[in-house]
Amino acid sequence: MNAAQRQPAEAKFEPLLQFEMEMGTFLSDWHHCDQLSNFMARMISHNRTDPVRHSNFFSSALNELLEVSFRGGSPEGRIGCSVFRQGPKERVELSFPCSPTQRRFFREAVARTHKGDAYARYLDAISTDLAPSREIVLLDLAINFDAEIRLEEDDPPSISIIVDLPLEGIVS
Amino acid sequence: MSTAVLAAPFQAVFDANSQEFSLAGVIRPRSVDEIAYSITEFRRAIDEARGVLYINVKRLAQMNNTAFHAFSRVVLDACRTRSDIRFVVVTSSVVGWTERMFRHLGKIEPQITVEVYDSKFYPGQSFVEDTSFIPILRAQTKMTWRHERTILPRHGMRPGIAMADICCGIGDFAVLAQKEFQPARIVALDHSKPSLAYARKVAAEFGVTGIEYTYGDASEMLLEDNQFDFVTCRHSLQIFNQPELLLKELYRIVKPGGRVYITNEKNSHCLGEPRAQSIQWTYNELARLLSHFEMDVELGPKSRRYLADAGFDDILVESFMITNLDGDPQDFADVIAGWEKMFAAMAARHGEAPEFIDRFRQGFRDHIFAALHPKGYAGWPIWAASGRKPL
Ligand SMILES: C[S@@+](CC[C@H](N)C(=O)[O-])C[C@H]1O[C@@H](n2cnc3c(N)ncnc32)[C@H](O)[C@@H]1O
Repeated sequence: MNAAQRQPAEAKFEPLLQFEMEMGTFLSDWHHCDQLSNFMARMISHNRTDPVRHSNFFSSALNELLEVSFRGGSPEGRIGCSVFRQGPKERVELSFPCSPTQRRFFREAVARTHKGDAYARYLDAISTDLAPSREIVLLDLAINFDAEIRLEEDDPPSISIIVDLPLEGIVS
Repeated sequence: MSTAVLAAPFQAVFDANSQEFSLAGVIRPRSVDEIAYSITEFRRAIDEARGVLYINVKRLAQMNNTAFHAFSRVVLDACRTRSDIRFVVVTSSVVGWTERMFRHLGKIEPQITVEVYDSKFYPGQSFVEDTSFIPILRAQTKMTWRHERTILPRHGMRPGIAMADICCGIGDFAVLAQKEFQPARIVALDHSKPSLAYARKVAAEFGVTGIEYTYGDASEMLLEDNQFDFVTCRHSLQIFNQPELLLKELYRIVKPGGRVYITNEKNSHCLGEPRAQSIQWTYNELARLLSHFEMDVELGPKSRRYLADAGFDDILVESFMITNLDGDPQDFADVIAGWEKMFAAMAARHGEAPEFIDRFRQGFRDHIFAALHPKGYAGWPIWAASGRKPL
């Protein structure tokens, strides 16, 4: 997977790091989410103004995304995660295979992060839902991490969730 | 994976005396069942609490949405059934996302307030974090480095190690250590944003890269356990009212077999000739004055005890004297002039009489006089000590 080539218009996002693994292997242990997010966060944060706090913040966001793919992905195929940088922003591109139902769910959930009522929905989900939905995770990223989220679906059954995180500005 | 494995990296503790429920560490469960015990404890804490329940998340390094949702539900439900109780969520300015995430709870229920814990760790903090302190720190390190560069290898400093300088101030020690010893990694942590900004600027100007300057609270650090071969904490234990808390953290982050290195003073032993008596009087008074701010600037010779009590073994202690003859006597004089200004301000804050402050200042001036006198001698003793974290 090479997002930089797929999006020539955004070549200014420099690739920093990527990993790929069999989805089956990824799904074999829940702790992969925690371990991968910490490891990647550490690697990409070392040259940020405050590497320790940047890494903590970034790990928090990336872990949520990986958990989303853990809960919503299907076992055949590969999961890939690339991190890019442009100035104060990091872009995470997370691709994984999922069912058509899941795809539809993600399409709607991502669209809701752009709507004017996103914050109201988020508060409502915290105060009334019995369990956190994966929708709330994307709202959490949009609201608490100022993330810009979009979806690419040109390689089914995989989808790519692309998340721009302006963390440098929040951390330092 | 068993829940026991998952449960290990976090703590959920209720202290009934302070009505405080604390969450710390990394809480990233796959399902709520894995944290069921902590949730039950949280409910019990709410049942027991009267008036206000503090929810302390200062040391919460990570929490996923699953856990956030589960704990939030408990508080929000409690707000609906218990109008007699208020909740105060205490977040830290260090862990950025906690404040952003928890503040929403206050929007949902007016019974919940979210506070950011910051500063006021110890009584003398406002003086130490003041920018006027920067040039003093700079001159101090310039003088101590002449000695420490030969002392440090005896305490475990060597090339290729992972080191941390906690309470790094303006970071010049980290730069000097980087140049001289080429460690593989240096993390430099302080709680003064102006000092850190200055540190980053100096590093950039000198083309020094790779030092990870980070904002943090030394008594509750985000750094993981057992990470460093060598941890330094210079001139800082002595300014905390609870040095043992800090040592506990230094102990936590150093690897087993690694060493923690501390330097401290015994201010009443500063000396000079001529005008020895006036100098002596002022430094005795200084130690007394700072004790009112709960700083123990007599800590140096107590290093051995502090290290032993914190669990270190193979403890090494040595002392050295910085004098006006080490290099340019003017450097010595500049440091003392900085002290005079800062400590006179603290004396005034403490409500000392003007006559006292005059005499107090005079001792520093006499110390400067001794330092610059062609036949004079002026000294500032420092204790360097280190201990090993047992394997
Ligand atoms: C006396 S200075 C020593 C600085 C430096 N080690 C040196 O020798 O130049 C003490 C330092 O501790 C820092 N400090 C105070 N409280 C702190 C805390 N809770 N966490 C981290 N640093 C703190 C202050 O900002 C200050 O830079």
